[in-house]
Amino acid sequence: MSESEVPRKEANVLKGHEGAVLAARFNSDGNYCLSCGKDRTIRLWNPHRGIHIKTYKSHAREVRDVHVTPDNSKLCSCGGDRQIFYWDVSTGRVIRKFRGHDGEVNAVKFNEYSSVVVSAGYDQSLRAWDCRSHSTEPIQIIDSFSDSVMSVCLTKSEIIGGSVDGTVRTFDIRIGREISDDLGQPVNCISMSNDGNCILASCLDSTLRLLDRTSGELLQEYKGHTCKSYKLDCCLTNTDAHVTGGSEDGFIYFWDLVDASVVSSFRAHSSVVTSVSYHPKDSCMITASVDGTIRVWKT
Amino acid sequence: MDLDEDDFVFFGTPIEREEEITSRKKKAVAEASGQLRTLPVWKQEVTDEEGRRRFHGAFTGGFSAGYYNTVGSKEGWTPQKFVSSRKNRAEVKQQNILNFLDEDERADLEGQSLGTSMQFDTFGFTAAELARKQAEKEQQQRPSAIPGPVPDELVLPATESIGVKLLLKMGWRHGHSIKDSRPSSLYDARREARKAFLAFSSDDAKVQLTESESVQGNLESITEQPTNDDVQSYQSTPVYVRNPKQDLHGLGFDPYKHAPEFREKKRSRMSGKRETGSRKAYSTKDNLFGFKSGNVAPGFGIGALEEFDAEDEDVYAAGFDFVDTYVQEVEEPSRLMTDSKPKLLAKETGVLPGFRVASNSDYQLERFDPPVIPKDFVPCHKFPGPLETNYRLADPPPPEVPPPEDNNLKLLIEGVATLVARCGKLYEDLSKEKNQSNPLFNFLTGGNGYDYYTRKLWEERQKRTDQSKQQVDVKLSSSMRKMTAESRGKILGERPLERSIKDLSSSVASAEGIQLQFNLSDTFTEPASSSGLHEAVKPFKDDPAKQERFERFLKEKYQGGLRSTTSSGSSNMSEASRARERLDFEAAAEAIQKGQWGKESKHSSATGGMQFTSGGVEQAKVTEAEDLITKKMFPKREEYQWRPAPVLCKRFDLIDPYMGKPAPPPRMRSKIDTLIFTSDSAKETKVEETIIANRDFSMLQSDVQGISQDVAIKENEVEVEVENVERPVDLYKAIFSDDSDDEGETTSLKKVENPEKKIEAATTTLNRLIAGDFLESLGKELGLEVPPDLPQSTNMAKTPASQKEAANSNVGDSNILPVKNDPSTVFSETLNHEVPHNRKIAMEGRPEKNEVIHGKLAESVGIYMETGSTENDLDKVDLEKRVHEDSKAKTPSSRYKNWNSNSSSEDGRSRKQSRQHRHRSGDLDSDSSSDHRDRYHSRSKGRKKESSREKSGSSRRHSKHHKHRSRDSPGRSRYDSDREHREAKREKRKKRD
Repeated sequence: MSESEVPRKEANVLKGHEGAVLAARFNSDGNYCLSCGKDRTIRLWNPHRGIHIKTYKSHAREVRDVHVTPDNSKLCSCGGDRQIFYWDVSTGRVIRKFRGHDGEVNAVKFNEYSSVVVSAGYDQSLRAWDCRSHSTEPIQIIDSFSDSVMSVCLTKSEIIGGSVDGTVRTFDIRIGREISDDLGQPVNCISMSNDGNCILASCLDSTLRLLDRTSGELLQEYKGHTCKSYKLDCCLTNTDAHVTGGSEDGFIYFWDLVDASVVSSFRAHSSVVTSVSYHPKDSCMITASVDGTIRVWKT
Repeated sequence: MDLDEDDFVFFGTPIEREEEITSRKKKAVAEASGQLRTLPVWKQEVTDEEGRRRFHGAFTGGFSAGYYNTVGSKEGWTPQKFVSSRKNRAEVKQQNILNFLDEDERADLEGQSLGTSMQFDTFGFTAAELARKQAEKEQQQRPSAIPGPVPDELVLPATESIGVKLLLKMGWRHGHSIKDSRPSSLYDARREARKAFLAFSSDDAKVQLTESESVQGNLESITEQPTNDDVQSYQSTPVYVRNPKQDLHGLGFDPYKHAPEFREKKRSRMSGKRETGSRKAYSTKDNLFGFKSGNVAPGFGIGALEEFDAEDEDVYAAGFDFVDTYVQEVEEPSRLMTDSKPKLLAKETGVLPGFRVASNSDYQLERFDPPVIPKDFVPCHKFPGPLETNYRLADPPPPEVPPPEDNNLKLLIEGVATLVARCGKLYEDLSKEKNQSNPLFNFLTGGNGYDYYTRKLWEERQKRTDQSKQQVDVKLSSSMRKMTAESRGKILGERPLERSIKDLSSSVASAEGIQLQFNLSDTFTEPASSSGLHEAVKPFKDDPAKQERFERFLKEKYQGGLRSTTSSGSSNMSEASRARERLDFEAAAEAIQKGQWGKESKHSSATGGMQFTSGGVEQAKVTEAEDLITKKMFPKREEYQWRPAPVLCKRFDLIDPYMGKPAPPPRMRSKIDTLIFTSDSAKETKVEETIIANRDFSMLQSDVQGISQDVAIKENEVEVEVENVERPVDLYKAIFSDDSDDEGETTSLKKVENPEKKIEAATTTLNRLIAGDFLESLGKELGLEVPPDLPQSTNMAKTPASQKEAANSNVGDSNILPVKNDPSTVFSETLNHEVPHNRKIAMEGRPEKNEVIHGKLAESVGIYMETGSTENDLDKVDLEKRVHEDSKAKTPSSRYKNWNSNSSSEDGRSRKQSRQHRHRSGDLDSDSSSDHRDRYHSRSKGRKKESSREKSGSSRRHSKHHKHRSRDSPGRSRYDSDREHREAKREKRKKRD
């Protein structure tokens, strides 16, 4: 794949957040995106047209992560107020608040059926919350991590969490096993490859590591960017051909998946690129930065 | 949660939580129902405690019965299933009131029921009933072979009722109708006779008896007409006619059920055998076929004695109408019955009436010739081997001999005898051959104990033949002897198994052997597979006795060998403390083993760390080594058991893998945790570097400027020294104790297992670390010589928690971004406002003495108690204190964390280190005075709030200068402050009290 296929062209700039944008996420079909940030709001955008659609305000502190159900009807968000908010997208009202984390909540995800929200917290735990019942107690607390859990990914049958203790732990519900892959470096962010076979883990030694999920083998390391103290997102492109991630110097990096060479890197933001999200189908990505902007990149 | 709300910043109208709404609704409903009392009576509703309606309308159940009224079923009564009686009428049970009554009610009812008392119980019915009930009761009480209620027939009233007695006196006898028998007696008699003939037609004395009686009656009243309803009125105890079962049919099976003719035939044949048949009264043949010719009874003499009656036209009466027979009977009643049998007995034996013998039969019995036996066949098979079993039995038994004195020999002989008896002579020969030279086996060849052996062998054989005989008897296989494994083996030419010999030996010394084995495992410990032992490592330097015990423990663990009896430690130790120590040892040993690989690197990193304080140049080397290690080590995969919650499985649409299984045992906590929190002695094993660091602080304190290369040299000295590290009691107390200062310190230590508390402890230590960081930058500002900024490698190796915090906070707060000229500085003003203030304070506080600070602190704490808002003051004081305290705990402490590339364990270590700093400083305080220490406690409680707050502020400020200093997150500190706020409140309350 050549460099030309990498989205380098800035299509839109989404401005509106006051202060740092901490996460930007495409929805499941890629038509919309959600962002959340330091200004305690969650914003819904149409990135392709550059329109701000809606703002969700209820969080008491910064919002660190947001996720939307595949049917676009519900949102979940989490942040510094140690709560997980379960929103109705259209009305913008909070359906439920899940409290229980003893610290900030770093990441949150819906499961496949949107029936469970899994959150990763600074209190070294992953918690699963039931959206179906009215219970506000977590239905599962996974506290085998020995440090803050930074990121969580869900498959149909697994919960995967990446933690500062350097482990990526896969909790397989189907067989009831926990598989811990110790990377030796604090893990910032994990993201699944689109084929579901690999995990890309962003470590705080300025390295992205690609792990084979079945064997736990380290497949590749991607270096070149700076990631030492911030939670920086990383992801694979929609074709799984490239690995992309932000850098603390405002650059965006594209690596070739296989030979780990930097395919492209360019300055995208004036400040730390906190979040990257790739369009599920098209060659399009959004990046969020501490500078308060979200930029849409296309080829 | 409530406390958490204090910290929230609310904007606008809060969105109501859903459950709040629903609960309010519920409450409203409840209130509404509470107002029901004001309603008119007929509108009120009675509910039980759980709010369910108590009474229902008459058509919906009246009142709430069921379990609530303890009727035994949910509905309050046992509902009957509708069963259609169309098809199975017999099964329809009649319900009566008893079905719906409880047992006690039933008892009541029965108590009230009327019954005849004994003396008026004319016919004994009540007595019979009572007896039956009694029997039933007994039946229920004890189990019997026949389950279920006793059939009525079996339980007969034993009492002779007065009525019966009377009747008997009046001449009534059992088996008779009570009513006046005259009118019906004739008919009855006839019927009886008929029945008797039909059913038995045997020479039953009883039947004859009744018949003769009835005949007598008959004679008395010949003219009487039989009545119609006499059968019904015939009420008396039945006469049981016992008919012995003589055939081989099943009980109750009547082969002639549908062909009574054959029965007759059979009977006649049987009786024919018995009887000579001299008295053949008449042929029944014509009778059999002739009776249908007319209704007129064929018989003779009817007309002579009585009128012919319609009653006598018995449609069902078969040809055997011997109505008249009893006329003759009178003379010889006993003969009559027997006479009636041969009536069928015919000349035509074996031919049924109506049949005739075939002239030639088609049926021919087919015969098969037996197989031709070969001429040389010997009907009895004999195995070639000397399998004795039978044929030596003829031998006379050898005389009984007392067993030899040697018990072993006796056992041996017995064993061999048994085996020989089992396996045959062959075995004897074999063992003879084998053990020719063995003096023990002399008895085989006629030496010592031969007599006993022969006797024993004979006995055994006797036994075996008995057994085999039995078997043979059972199997009834006379021609074949029983094939045993041995005999089969012999046939096939197999050698007897070696096992047998072993059996022998083990039988001799089995018990001892077990004992020995047990002792072996008891005295010898298996060496654990550990290659390297490190005698050099002395984790319990401070306690020589303990160290000695530890070494012994290590030796046992890794080298095996004899377990020393004193291994369990000195006798004055209690069991619990011994166990605890053993745990310590385990932990320490594991820690040592784990630390083995990094030993060299540890060393180098130690020096590297030192050089770093002086120049930070050679750090790169260490990181390279670390990289190498990292490459080798990671990623490392481990697997554990993990139990997902059933609800989670449900929500993920998966089957719970642990469905129905008991909960797994909780997984062991990670090594770090155990090291930190099991006990301080275990901690100390891993803490040498901390000690070093502590040394370093003291040096730093004494000579702030003189952080130089010679530190490294001193360092080495220190390493050899035995450092006694105090237990961090103060810390724990400061954190956990609210009013239990006098509580046992060790217990409080043990209690720390609580993970939440752990986190708290960890955060506190982290605060210390951060304070160190702060101080470093402060010193820089003051122009003191401070180690230069961290190279990148150290960043990487920083504690993950702080790294993460950095990530969070940095991302979160744009102010602390490296990009200084960020236009959107929302929070910067406040921070900037804060900064110079703090700085000033720090400058002031720096040169002050300990006492002053403490005094000030106490004061300020007091202020805080009163106002709770003079934070500036507190900040000030805290800063001062911090400056004082942390000048000791200067930056090197935080640097030393980088030794281990394993971030998690390093995290723990760094926590430990900081704790050690902590209690070192506490130590110093307590040195000065004892009440000082108390103050310290209280102060630390109060202070922590400000410290954390201050810390966040300071870190924010310094992040402008050093990015890496800013690693502590506001979130973390806020979290701390939450907790400390609470603590401060508690403190306040205490003070007020």
